[in-house]
Amino acid sequence: MKNLALYTIPIGYMLIYVVLILASGLWLFLLSQGLDSSEGVLHTIESISYEPKPKSLHNFIEVAAPHLFAMGTLIFVVAHFMLFSTNISQKVSRMVSMGVFILALLNICSYLAISFGLVVSGWIKLVALLAFVLLFLVLLGMVAFSL
Amino acid sequence: MKFLVTKDLAHSTLLTYLMSAVVFAILLYIGLDVILHAYIIGLDRSSIEATLFGDEVNFIEPILIDSLLLQVHIDLFMTLFAILILASIYIRLYANKAMTKWVVHLLFLFGMLAPVMLMLAYFTGPSLSMIWLITFMIWHFLALFVAMMILKKLLFK
Repeated sequence: MKNLALYTIPIGYMLIYVVLILASGLWLFLLSQGLDSSEGVLHTIESISYEPKPKSLHNFIEVAAPHLFAMGTLIFVVAHFMLFSTNISQKVSRMVSMGVFILALLNICSYLAISFGLVVSGWIKLVALLAFVLLFLVLLGMVAFSL
Repeated sequence: MKFLVTKDLAHSTLLTYLMSAVVFAILLYIGLDVILHAYIIGLDRSSIEATLFGDEVNFIEPILIDSLLLQVHIDLFMTLFAILILASIYIRLYANKAMTKWVVHLLFLFGMLAPVMLMLAYFTGPSLSMIWLITFMIWHFLALFVAMMILKKLLFK
């Protein structure tokens, strides 16, 4: 296979793009929860934990629908590069990839529990979001390590 | 990308048709994306500045940070996929050319810089708004060039 090394360029840039997408997504979420210049990030996180902003079913579906498609596709595209990896075993890749998929689903659906009043505090959303971002970063690191 | 790299499909006519069709679709996307941004942000200095910073004379409010960030978030996702597909096919077809590496680097760099510059312009002031326009147009012209080169090779070889 000729010039396979050239393909490391798009894969490398893809990792940076995904980090930017994650960062802008986090920022958007915090803005939707009341982050502004007068209140810091920590205060916003604290207020999400105690009293997350109410979200109707309409609002939930409006956010969930594009994210189910976009996050599923993005995770698949990133994770499929692990098929080429010779540094990390397929078993580890499978576990991490499936973990990211499950946490993405949990992250999207967690606000449903808040909207329907199943949980009062927003800790479930914060935990799901944090776990998803951290495991996705691990997956990105694995792809970077395999380049 | 796995299908584009594998050697078994090197002489597949179906793959040639599929690659041509997806590149044609991306070509249309690139054109419409410019028109979309002309409507949302503007493509000249006065309209960009009116969108980002408002215009007191014409009673135009500056764009909300939520709306701008959502546009940047979507742009990053769409740009990534469009460029990833274009770059994969371009590398497959032009792997032996010395400039391929630089074209791919520039495509990804400017594609990434455009949304970042838009956010920076919003926070720092009008001086960076034209830098956004330049980076935005460069990545679109580069993508146009890459798409045309791919179609040229696939359809007129």
